Amino acid sequence: MSGDQTQDSLAEKRWLVALAKGDPAALGAIYEMYGERIFRYAYRMLGNRSDAEDATAETFLRVLKRANELRADGAFRTWIFRITRNLCIDKMRQHKLLELPADAQYSCGEDKTALRITVQQALKDLPTEYREPLILCDLEDVSAKEAAEVLKISVPALKSRLYRGRRALRDKLGGTLEKLK
Amino acid sequence: MKNEFYKKLIDMYAGDELSSELKDELETAALSDSELSHEMFSLKTTVEALRSSPEPEFTDDTFQRILMRMYRQGVDVKTHMPESPHMQLRLPLTG
Repeated sequence: MSGDQTQDSLAEKRWLVALAKGDPAALGAIYEMYGERIFRYAYRMLGNRSDAEDATAETFLRVLKRANELRADGAFRTWIFRITRNLCIDKMRQHKLLELPADAQYSCGEDKTALRITVQQALKDLPTEYREPLILCDLEDVSAKEAAEVLKISVPALKSRLYRGRRALRDKLGGTLEKLK
Repeated sequence: MKNEFYKKLIDMYAGDELSSELKDELETAALSDSELSHEMFSLKTTVEALRSSPEPEFTDDTFQRILMRMYRQGVDVKTHMPESPHMQLRLPLTG
């Protein structure tokens, strides 16, 4: 662990303890630490900025409501991702948002824009059980162990879905990848 | 593909999970096996394309809009970020 990571981890622990004790400033600090990651994850799950903002806000409200359950033992990241995931799945069920709507725009340069859109489209078309491991492990850089905990499955099951998901994505991309040769 | 073992090795290769020795061995084997070579290349390219996908933008406005959503639910979250003008117009939660 680098010096910065150690400092971040210590700061996180301090704020989690403060939040559990009811410190009103703590939620803001935790939102500053995790807001962007949680939003990105929600956006990739839902593909819609407005719903992703709702899910992010609701995630932190749930963190506040359940502050007494918090443990500063390193499991917070998994816990908060799981909350977001459950909220996203609820939204997908409620609104049948099983597809990335047209507003799924990402910051990107001019080159390879078409390929990036194609990758996003292909990812969107994958079954949720494949899409989730790809979002967590390949896009959000979450470890296999943590991703398995978020999804409440075993590590071998996670890896199996991840590998199948990558192959399914490749098959969907088809000829697009050939252009990269 | 020859067998499940190779398939698993290719999956690990694409995800950069192999040791450098195994990676070298697999790449050497691929030199004389076009099917293996195609599998390795196409899967690795897929993973690289996915990992290099641009991130959804998280702007200051996004940050503030999420704060505003929490505020509407009755939670006034204080952060170190300067408030945008529209956030400064909010009314007291109670009274």
